[in-house]
Amino acid sequence: MHNLTPSPIRITDRYADGEDACHFEFELLNPVIETEMAKAKPGQFFMLNVPGAGAAPFTYTRLPDSNGRFVALVRNVGQLTSALFTKKPGDILGHRGPFGHGWPIEEISGKNLLIIAGGCGLAPLSALIDHLINTGHAQQVAMIYGSRTRELQVLGRERLRWKQDILFHETVDVSSKNMPQGNLSSSSLSQNHLSKGSPIDHIDNVITQHGATPDAVLCCGPEHMMYAVASHFVAEGLAPTSIWLSLERRMHCGVGTCGHCYIANSYACVDGPTYRFDALQNLMQKTAQFPDQYALFNHC
Amino acid sequence: MQAYSLDKAETLRAHLAKTHCLLEVRDSDEGSPQWQQITSDDKTPFCGMRVAQFSPKAFFFAEREQLFTFDGREFVTTLPDSAPQALFAVNACDLTAIAYQDRFFAKDQHYQRRRSATLLVGIDCLSPCDGGFCPSVDAGPAVREHTADLILIPQSKEPDAAWFVAVNNSKGAAALQGLQLQKAPADWQQLRNTHEREAIKAFPDASYILTGVEHLNAGRISAEFWETLGVQCLACSGCTSLCPTCSCYTTYERNTDDDDTLVTERCWDSCLYDGFQREASGHNPSATPGHRVERFWQHKFSNDFVAEFGRYGCVGCGRCEQTCPGVIGVHSVMRQISKSCTT
Repeated sequence: MHNLTPSPIRITDRYADGEDACHFEFELLNPVIETEMAKAKPGQFFMLNVPGAGAAPFTYTRLPDSNGRFVALVRNVGQLTSALFTKKPGDILGHRGPFGHGWPIEEISGKNLLIIAGGCGLAPLSALIDHLINTGHAQQVAMIYGSRTRELQVLGRERLRWKQDILFHETVDVSSKNMPQGNLSSSSLSQNHLSKGSPIDHIDNVITQHGATPDAVLCCGPEHMMYAVASHFVAEGLAPTSIWLSLERRMHCGVGTCGHCYIANSYACVDGPTYRFDALQNLMQKTAQFPDQYALFNHC
Repeated sequence: MQAYSLDKAETLRAHLAKTHCLLEVRDSDEGSPQWQQITSDDKTPFCGMRVAQFSPKAFFFAEREQLFTFDGREFVTTLPDSAPQALFAVNACDLTAIAYQDRFFAKDQHYQRRRSATLLVGIDCLSPCDGGFCPSVDAGPAVREHTADLILIPQSKEPDAAWFVAVNNSKGAAALQGLQLQKAPADWQQLRNTHEREAIKAFPDASYILTGVEHLNAGRISAEFWETLGVQCLACSGCTSLCPTCSCYTTYERNTDDDDTLVTERCWDSCLYDGFQREASGHNPSATPGHRVERFWQHKFSNDFVAEFGRYGCVGCGRCEQTCPGVIGVHSVMRQISKSCTT
């Protein structure tokens, strides 16, 4: 039977991590659930219950350890996250999960990977990057992380760590006053691996520097960016079966019954949030093709 | 399937009401038939087949119900009361919808708690109801196999006709214990089949619905068409509330009146609401009414759901047509699709 009741967790640590973003570490209070949580895979998510505000899905940026400790990155964009940002270490919240399908660890094993993230889309990739580094695959991984401004970049401590092991390139759409202007280039990679433009602008340069054409591409970020990335690689000849995207959807249950996260006949909380691009294309083709909606994104 | 002769349906009703909270559809002061609880000493004659304004889905998937509480430290599951209940004289279409939701909510504790405590007494319809087209979607007019525990089968259309009661399973057989009933004559099933054939003939032509479904599954309906229908959608949620297979819900919290305990409840939601898929970032995958109207009809008639549920999500009750203030219920929409895709 599905369990719709959360298990209590305690905030053990928190620190600011990018504009309007915060890094939360949690600890499970009920050790009985630990075995289930220990099965969590990179890219899976959990439902975080913030008493007084409700529940919403968040990804594990660090998977639960044997003590039931895990980490999430949260950007303050709505009522629930506003309530969460008032919480402090020691406060008790609720957790259900892990849910959904994460990144295809087995399918990408041993392959040259290009990972592209946009904004908070870096969070669902965090546990995967750690996994790849810890299992000795760092040399086969190149990464492009795009954000609107440098201030909006997240996971600062993790990025510093990752840069020691993998080719990690960063892009910003808009330069800001705190940015070293001299190091910016829209056409080539700068020495400090920070460029102006979108991640797509720098794909070719990063691949050249990495020295290996990607066998598989993993992407998470704003939906339009992900489709642009996927289309780019399909046009370059990469099979849609070698591209994976992680989608964001509103969710209330995590178990495929509340109906909110539908994509045609698929529920992202059960079949996703990671979809192989060919499967996602197939779902998209099941419905009428509506003109693109240019929604106003507060944060991506 | 074993069947017995039953002089009066009231006999069975009174018998079941002794051990169950029994509900049947009766005309109400509000002007439309509603499910009402009755007791074993109720002398009101059984009025035969009635179509309730609301399907019985709320008896399993409650319109609003408590999921769990939080006292500041622990989350505690709240399960619904599991006292035995009997739904008396449920139409074939609504029974088909219950069977559909049984599959969808197979792992939902709250749904299954109520469902397992419920006895379903179906009734064969001998004539079409207003707006109904159950034969077109294989949901009636006779009760479908394995959708009820007991089936009331009218022996004729006469108002005071006797009945057969067919037993579908052990739950139904147990419910009849204590009643002295004679076995039905050998030809009861033949008579039942004859009645269904005659009833089907009396249904008005609904071929445009099947044509519309064919167009929908062939991908022939444009975004522009859906947006045109979307203009007529008031997002009132009448269709999703009355539809016996609609199952979307949202969750929310409220404070209890007497202490600091927080209660999390779920209540019916509607895919036709503007904010149904809207995320905190502002991104809304179904941002326009056309998107959302298409979703509703895809969920009812797309072949993609048949693999999982063994049938379409529509059971042909016609309630969406009756309630929709924008005139985009099933008959109106399928007529328009049928017309627009073939001209």
